Amino acid sequence: MCLGIPGKIVERHDDRGLPMGVVDFGGVRREVCLAYVADEVQVGDYAIVHVGFAISKVDEIEARRTYDALREMSRLDELDWMKDVADGAEAT
Amino acid sequence: MTVDTLAARGLVCPAPAAEAGRVQLGHGSGGKMSAALLAERFLPHLGNPTLAQLGDAAVLDVGDGVLALSTDTFVVQPLEFPGGNIGTLAVHGTLNDLVMMGARPRALSAGFVLEEGLPFDVLDRVVAAMGNAARAAGVVVATGDTKVVERGKADGLYVNTSGIGVVSPDFRPAPDRVRPGDAVLVSGPLGRHGIAVLAARGSIAFEVELESDSAYLGPLVERLREALGPDVHALRDPTRGGLASTLNEIAAASGVGVALREGTIPVPEAVAGACEMLGFDPLYVANEGVLAAFVPAARADDALAALRAHPLGREAALIGRVVADHPRMVVLETGIGGTRIVDLLPGDQLPRIC
Amino acid sequence: MKYLNEYRDPALARRVIGQIRREATRRWVLMEVCGGQTHTIVRQGLDALLDGAVEMVHGPGCPVCVTPLEQIDRALALAARPDVVFTSFGDMLRVPGSDCDLHQIRARGGNVRIVYSPLDAVELARRTPDRHVVFFAVGFETTAPANAMAVWRARELGLDNFSVLVSHVTVPPAMTAILAASDNRVQGFLAAGHVCTVMGWTEYEPIAARFRVPIVVTGFEPLDILEGMLLAVRQLEEGRHEVENQYVRSVRRDGNQPAQELVSRVFELVDRSWRGIGAIPRSGLGVREEFARYDAERRFRLEGIRTTEPAECRAGDVLRGLLKPIDCPAFGTVCTPEHPLGAPMVSSEGACAAYYNYGRFRATLSV
Repeated sequence: MCLGIPGKIVERHDDRGLPMGVVDFGGVRREVCLAYVADEVQVGDYAIVHVGFAISKVDEIEARRTYDALREMSRLDELDWMKDVADGAEAT
Repeated sequence: MTVDTLAARGLVCPAPAAEAGRVQLGHGSGGKMSAALLAERFLPHLGNPTLAQLGDAAVLDVGDGVLALSTDTFVVQPLEFPGGNIGTLAVHGTLNDLVMMGARPRALSAGFVLEEGLPFDVLDRVVAAMGNAARAAGVVVATGDTKVVERGKADGLYVNTSGIGVVSPDFRPAPDRVRPGDAVLVSGPLGRHGIAVLAARGSIAFEVELESDSAYLGPLVERLREALGPDVHALRDPTRGGLASTLNEIAAASGVGVALREGTIPVPEAVAGACEMLGFDPLYVANEGVLAAFVPAARADDALAALRAHPLGREAALIGRVVADHPRMVVLETGIGGTRIVDLLPGDQLPRIC
Repeated sequence: MKYLNEYRDPALARRVIGQIRREATRRWVLMEVCGGQTHTIVRQGLDALLDGAVEMVHGPGCPVCVTPLEQIDRALALAARPDVVFTSFGDMLRVPGSDCDLHQIRARGGNVRIVYSPLDAVELARRTPDRHVVFFAVGFETTAPANAMAVWRARELGLDNFSVLVSHVTVPPAMTAILAASDNRVQGFLAAGHVCTVMGWTEYEPIAARFRVPIVVTGFEPLDILEGMLLAVRQLEEGRHEVENQYVRSVRRDGNQPAQELVSRVFELVDRSWRGIGAIPRSGLGVREEFARYDAERRFRLEGIRTTEPAECRAGDVLRGLLKPIDCPAFGTVCTPEHPLGAPMVSSEGACAAYYNYGRFRATLSV
């Protein structure tokens, strides 16, 4: 119920009225039903795929924001550490 | 009498006109059809002086050596897949088991169970592949056997190969020689065979540009032998069950623990992608052209250099070490600094949704 | 792989762990309700790395684990029928029923096949009109749209030889049941990311308000889980209890509307029994009357099913976070992945299996 992984939509077609596509997962390709994201995605977009269905588009802007926020937190962490070291050096 | 009259009377001709291009039950009877099958389908590909004698057994002169003997039966489906076929596996697989014990292979036997209806052209490709693989390895198929079973009883074909090799006292890799402190190396990237065959089987439709890595590992082992000699403590090829199962077997056999480092284990992107999709762990996916080696830590660099000098070993990597902690257990240290056990699975990995 | 590997960055993960440990002034009890998240947590050893700041209790997030025994027995009865091809996700194959499991049914001659997608089962039915294909439709809300589409498609294609055996459960009622129990220890939740991809998070707002617990919609990779934990800990430290979204790259507040619509067309909310927990009202999905011929329970008369739970199985307590698998007397002794007493030991997402496969030695290792 959780195993959904991101893949790149490389092809779209119609199977007897059902929007389908081919999604590439790091070099592995599989047919995926795009019915639930049909209006949102185009070839080249990424989607989260679960049991052969795309359940959401990957929001690339939000994805970037999450990652940047985490890295920012790490940088602050480093600055804190450097400050602690500097304070420690002053105290001696 | 015409065929129709025969059929109308409920009679079936016991010496049927040759149905073009398929194995028939008669081919297993030991009579003329069997002889023809041997002459036309097997000898052209496997032919060598020993086999040509067609004796009840092959007599081989191996001097005063100590012998290694190995056997393996192959039932893979589909019979043919990118990178090889069941015949390729049958030769490489048994030869590899011999070289993992330090033996130099001398001869193979091949026993076939053919299903009635198997097309000759499939059989030809399988046997040709066996002949090529054996010749490339400098080994003969010295003796063999063929049986035919009714349609529906054999998935096309099954083949067993047994092999003998000669072992010398100065090169005896074995699980019980593994010691805490040893480095654990792997000769190449994992998971190609299992994923390639799964894709070829078609039961879960997906496409991937992967070939089985089936290969004869003899040349790699020779390099290790030249460079390290008796410092090669143990060798094993991780076939079904993958690297995880192999390492567990070695750990159990030698009573040591194995500690792996995530991030050092080479996995091709396509294998990783397929595993993500199916919920598989690449550590449990089958390989047919990879070996794991256990050598003293001080010799790890030499071993890696020896492996990497050969095309099959270009991506050889140091992936862990043998430890005295957690005996008989394989533990993986994650990049984050956590740990988890890498255990034997109860059965096959199954695609999952959770 | 893009959008996957970035969220596995070990150096970043270590930093976030450090941040959680810095911000937590006491140990908080958090629950994740998703087998995939349990998998990541135990596989990465996160619970051990956060010891002291966060105690993770693993909730009933494994639809395989909570599928009632009666439903497993129904599945086994169907699979044993010679006229049925029984198709299922791989997760269900080794879940024990009262007597045996699907693997054993297959060994005895039953036609049991694993499929990756419910549409593969529909395709199988289309290609083999002389056999009846039953699909074991198990899952949380994440899988309901796929299963709904399978039924919808079967009807569109005019198939008469396809039906689904449904065991769908929904998350919010289970969370409510856990929080409402008098012995509840859970102080915050990581909500299942992909469930929320489909459903959005509006259903969690009343729960957060009523029980005053933070609920963070969280993804599945190590960095997602860690960020989710950090956000939850921050809320707890600040005395907030809101629904927050960590998994912004996939989840929006209203979820996936077309998916929700098709699910409501094909399924309706029903009372469901959760194995090890008991009946939770309106916590499951059943096939609507309009699609009755695609409901295996109505197509096949499945009588004479007698279910017997093994007495020593404490799955219910484990699933509610009251008992850690390693503290169960049967764990690792009479109950192992090779001979499981209950589903949490079988399913690769089950808490007991996760502990056994990934973590049991920590309890035995003297550090």
